[in-house]
Amino acid sequence: MSENGHAKSGVRYGMVIDLDKCTGCMACSVACQQENNVSFRPDESNKLRSITWMEIYQLENGEAFPEYRHAYLPKPCMHCDAEHGAPCTFVCPVNATKRDEETGIVGHVYPRCIGCRYCIVACPYHARDFNWWDPTWPNPMEASLNPKVSVRMRGVVEKCTFCSHRLNDARAKAFLDKTPLNEVVYTPACAEACPTKAITFGNLLDPGSEAAKLSKDRERAFRILEKLHTEPKVTYLSSHKWVRDLADKSL
Amino acid sequence: MRPLRLHIEKEERSVGMKVGRRAFLQFTAGVVGGTLFTPLPWKLAADSAKWTQNWPWEPSPERGEITSVSTTCPFCDGGCGVNVRLVDGRRAILIEGNPKHPVNRGGVCALAASGLQRLYAPYRLKGPMKQTKKRGDVDGFQPISWTDAIAELAKAMGDLRGQGHPEGLACITGAPHNSMYALWQRFFATYGSPNLFSMPSELDGQKLAAYSVFGKAAPVSFALERASYVLSFGADLLEGWGTFGRIQTAYGMWQEKARKGEPVRLVQVDPRCSLTASKADDWVAVKPGSESALALGIAHVLIREGLYDADLASRTFFGFEDWTDAQGKERKGFKNFVTAAYSPERVSEITGVNPDKIVEIAKDFGGRKNALAIWGSCNGGVANPYHQEVAFIALNALVGNLKPGGMLGITPDPPLGALPDPQVDAVAVEGLKRPRLDMAGSAMPPLPGNALHGFLDGAAKGGGYSIGVLLVHEANPFHSLAENNLYRAAIEKVGLVASFSSYMDETAVHADLILPNHAALERYDDYTCLAGAPYGYYAITSPVLPPHKDTKHTGEVIFDLTKGMESLKDSFPWKSYEDYLKDRVKGLAASGRGAVADKGDETPWSWMPGKGPEVNYKDDADLWKKLAKGGMCWCDAQESLLEDLSTQSGDCELASQVLLGRGLKTDKDEAYLPRYAPLALGGSEQDLPLLLLAYRLPNIASGFLPNSPFLNKTIPDSLLLHDDQFVDVHPKTAKSLGLAEGDRAAIKTLQGEAVVRVHVHPGAQPGVAFMAQGLGHAAYDEYIDGKGANVNTLMEVLTDPVTGLGVAWAARAQLRRV
Repeated sequence: MSENGHAKSGVRYGMVIDLDKCTGCMACSVACQQENNVSFRPDESNKLRSITWMEIYQLENGEAFPEYRHAYLPKPCMHCDAEHGAPCTFVCPVNATKRDEETGIVGHVYPRCIGCRYCIVACPYHARDFNWWDPTWPNPMEASLNPKVSVRMRGVVEKCTFCSHRLNDARAKAFLDKTPLNEVVYTPACAEACPTKAITFGNLLDPGSEAAKLSKDRERAFRILEKLHTEPKVTYLSSHKWVRDLADKSL
Repeated sequence: MRPLRLHIEKEERSVGMKVGRRAFLQFTAGVVGGTLFTPLPWKLAADSAKWTQNWPWEPSPERGEITSVSTTCPFCDGGCGVNVRLVDGRRAILIEGNPKHPVNRGGVCALAASGLQRLYAPYRLKGPMKQTKKRGDVDGFQPISWTDAIAELAKAMGDLRGQGHPEGLACITGAPHNSMYALWQRFFATYGSPNLFSMPSELDGQKLAAYSVFGKAAPVSFALERASYVLSFGADLLEGWGTFGRIQTAYGMWQEKARKGEPVRLVQVDPRCSLTASKADDWVAVKPGSESALALGIAHVLIREGLYDADLASRTFFGFEDWTDAQGKERKGFKNFVTAAYSPERVSEITGVNPDKIVEIAKDFGGRKNALAIWGSCNGGVANPYHQEVAFIALNALVGNLKPGGMLGITPDPPLGALPDPQVDAVAVEGLKRPRLDMAGSAMPPLPGNALHGFLDGAAKGGGYSIGVLLVHEANPFHSLAENNLYRAAIEKVGLVASFSSYMDETAVHADLILPNHAALERYDDYTCLAGAPYGYYAITSPVLPPHKDTKHTGEVIFDLTKGMESLKDSFPWKSYEDYLKDRVKGLAASGRGAVADKGDETPWSWMPGKGPEVNYKDDADLWKKLAKGGMCWCDAQESLLEDLSTQSGDCELASQVLLGRGLKTDKDEAYLPRYAPLALGGSEQDLPLLLLAYRLPNIASGFLPNSPFLNKTIPDSLLLHDDQFVDVHPKTAKSLGLAEGDRAAIKTLQGEAVVRVHVHPGAQPGVAFMAQGLGHAAYDEYIDGKGANVNTLMEVLTDPVTGLGVAWAARAQLRRV
C-alpha cells in the first residue's frame, strides 16, 4: 500500500536512456510531437513558452577548447514514483494530474485542469508545459492528427504520458486475447523512433525486462536530481563521469 | 385611540408588502436548500467547463480504423524502411521505422518523423502554375491546366530543337541515385543536350577519385558495421554523413559492442567540436581544410614504421614505388614522395596537430584490425578537391582495406539491366557534339564531373552558348546551392525556367512555369544504391496515399513531352512511371542475383564477395510485390574490388594514369599523386580576418526539403532566437572583436553579408566562425520564411583544377558589431 491508500500493482513502467548511444538527432522529440498532437507556433524560440514533451537538453563539460565536449540528454516526464505522490500530483487542487497506481504512469486529465500551473512550479524536471494559446494547425495539416490522443485546449497544462494511449490499446488487445493485463508490453513513440536504440522502455518491476536490467547498471546508471527523493522512473546511462556529475545540478 | 388604530391599520396593510428579516432569511435558506437538490447549477458549471475548453475551432481528429503500410522512406536517399500509419486508409498520422528493415532496424530520423508536415504542408502547390508577371513575383502566378502547361513546355523545347540548338536545354536534378536520373539521361540523350546536372554532393568528387584509383566512377563504400577503429577526417558522421539511418544504426551497434567488451574506437579530426567530435573517443582539432595533410602525415608514419601492408602494396598498387611513364621518364612514387614531403613535423605546421599525436594516431590506426579511415567535405554538400579525396583513399589502401572483404570498396550498382536502346536523330547527334556548357567557354579539366557551378557560371557569363530552357527537378538551388548567387545570376540569362517542385520553394517562386510533382508518399520512386554501403541495394517507395493536389509525376510529364516529339516518342514506350519501374525490376529479377532482405535479421554488410544471399524471389512479379507492396529492399554482396579493377595499369593507381593521359598543365611528379594542395580563398586576410565554415545538423533540413515546424521546435535558442541565427565563435575571438554572447553582428564575405547574433562557444576553433546550414529561407510559409540567415549566400565556391567541380571549404569573413 502506498501512502495515499492505493494498492501498488506489480507494474511500474519506466524508461532507460543510454546517453552513450544518444546522438542528439531529435528523432524521439519529433516522433513524440507527431504521435501526441503537440501543437506548434511560427516562432518556437521562446523555450519557456514552447511545448515539448520530450525535450533534448545539451550538457557541457565546462572545459575550454579543445577539451570542450557536449552531450545530449533527452528528458521526458520522469513519472516520479515517490511514496506520497509525484511533486505535481501533490499540488494539483483539482485532481487533474494523478498517478495511476496500477502502472505508475502520471497522467493529466485536460478537461479537469483549471490552468493554475501549480504543477509546473512544483515539477523539478521542467517536464510540464502550459497552453498559452489556442492550438492551431495550418490547413490541411489537421489531417495528420492522431485520433488516439486528444488535442489540448488553451489554458491547460500538458506533459509526456509515456504514450499511455498505446498502453490502453495494448491492454484492450490483451483483454480480448485473454492474456494477463499486467504482462502487457508496449513501446512509446520516442523509444520506437530512436535510430541508435538509446531508449529502452519496460516494466521496472519485472526483473526479466531489459529496462529493469539496464536501470541496475552499477557503473553507468544515474537519475536526475536524485537528492530530491522524487524517485524518477527514467534512468540514464553514461560512461562519462562529467555527464553523471551534472545529474544532481538543477535543470 | 384613533391614532393608534390608524397605526395598526398601517401596519396591517404593510404585512403583505414588506418582507421581514425572518421571512427573508427563510426564503434565502429555502432557495439555497432548493438549488442543492436541483442539478441545474452543476449542469451549468459542467457545461461552462466544456464551453471554455471544447471550442469548435479546436480540432477533434476523426476516428477510424488504423492500418499501417510499409514502404521505403521517400524523404532522402537513405533507403530506410518505414511504416506509415493511416486512419481509414485516407489520412496519414505517423511515420515510424520498420523494425524488420536491415538499414534502419526500426529507427527513423527527425526529418522523416516530421514528414507528414510536408505531405500536409500549406505551401504545397495546388496544381500547375504560370508566371504572368515579372519572374519572382508570387502574386503573378496563375493556375493553368496540365494540358496547357505541358504544351507550353513542349513548345519551348520544340523551338530549341527546331532552331538546331537542342544543347540549349538544361536540367538540374536533386535525385542522382534513382531511376528518374536514368530517365533524365535517356531524355537528354534523345533530345540532344549534354547539359544534365545533379545538385552538387560530396560524392561528385569521390566518384572521380574512385575512377582515377580504381577505374570506376562510383561512390566509395565503407564497412562501418564491421569496423573496430574509425578514423574520421571531418566526416560529420552523426550529423548526416553518408546515409543517415544506416550510420545511426551502426553507431548504436558500436555502443552495443562496447558493452560486450569489443569497443569500436572513433577518432574525429574536425576543426570544430561537432556532434560527432563530442561523441568520439578522441577529438583531434585541426586547422580548417588541412585534414588531408594529416592523412598524408599518418601515411608517412605508417610507411616509416613499416605498419602498412607491404605485400598488397607490391602486388596491386601502381605508383607506390617510383615509376616510369610511357615516355620513359622516371617519376617519383607515393612512398618516396610522402616520406620526403609529409613528416609529422611538417604536417604539424599545416594542421596544428602535435607531431607526437600524429605518430600516436598512425600507430593506433596501423596496428588495429579492421581500422577504417573515412572523410567528409568541410561544408557537407559540395565536393572535396581531387587530391584530397585520393589522399584518404590511399591511406585506406596502405593498411590493406582494399582486400576482398576489406573495409573499403565501391558501392555496387544493382544489376537493373539495360533499357531498350534509345533512338537518336540527327538533331540530337549534333546537339550532343557541343561541349557541355561548363566546358564550352574554358579548357576542359582533366577529369570532368558534375560541375554544376561551372555550368551556372557559363550560363551567367554567356561564354559558350545560351540556355533556352532550364528544368529544375527535386532541387532548390536558389536557396540550397553553395554560393547560390551563381544560380540567381544564371537564370537571368535563361529563357524559360520550369520547376517540378511539389512545394512553393524559392526556386519555384523564381520559375516561369511550375509543373508540380506528386509529393513524397504520393508517388512511386526507387533507390538504385545506398551510397557508402558495402552491399548492393535496391528499393522502391510506393504511394501510401493518392495525390491530394492536382499534381503529376515528373516521369510521366517526360513521357507526355516526348509524345509530341516525333523522334523521341518511340524511346519512351511507358504508360506510367509505375510501368517504367516495373521494367527496371524485371531487369533486376532477370539477373538472378541478390535477395529481398525481409527476415529482419539480415546483416548484408557481412556478406563476403561471391557469397551473397540465396535468391528468394520467384520472378519479376514476385520481386515487384516484395519491393513495392512489402516495402522491403533488395540486397546483394559486394564484388571484390581488387579482382575487378578497370584502370589503365590494371592495378590500384596511387599515381594516376588517367591524369597523365589527359595532360595536366604541370609536369611535376606530385601532380599525379595524393597530396595536400589547398585552394586559395579569395579576399585578403586583412579585410576579412576570420574564416567562415558551414556545418550541418541532423535537425535542420538543408537540402531540397525545408524544415518542418516540429523540427524548428528542436532548434536551441542558442542557434535561432526569433528570426536571428547565431554564429559560433571562440570566447577569445569574440573578445578580440568586442562581441559578447547574443550580440548582433554583421558577417561579411566576398559573396555577401548577413546579420546574425554571436554565440560564444568553447567548441569553436579560434579565428573561425561556424554557421549552421539550412536556415534563411525566403519562401514557403510563416513557419519557415525569414528564419535565420542562409550561409550558402556567404560561401565561396572555388573550382578544383583537376575535376572542375565546385569546392567550398571555407570563406574569408569579417564579423563586426551592428
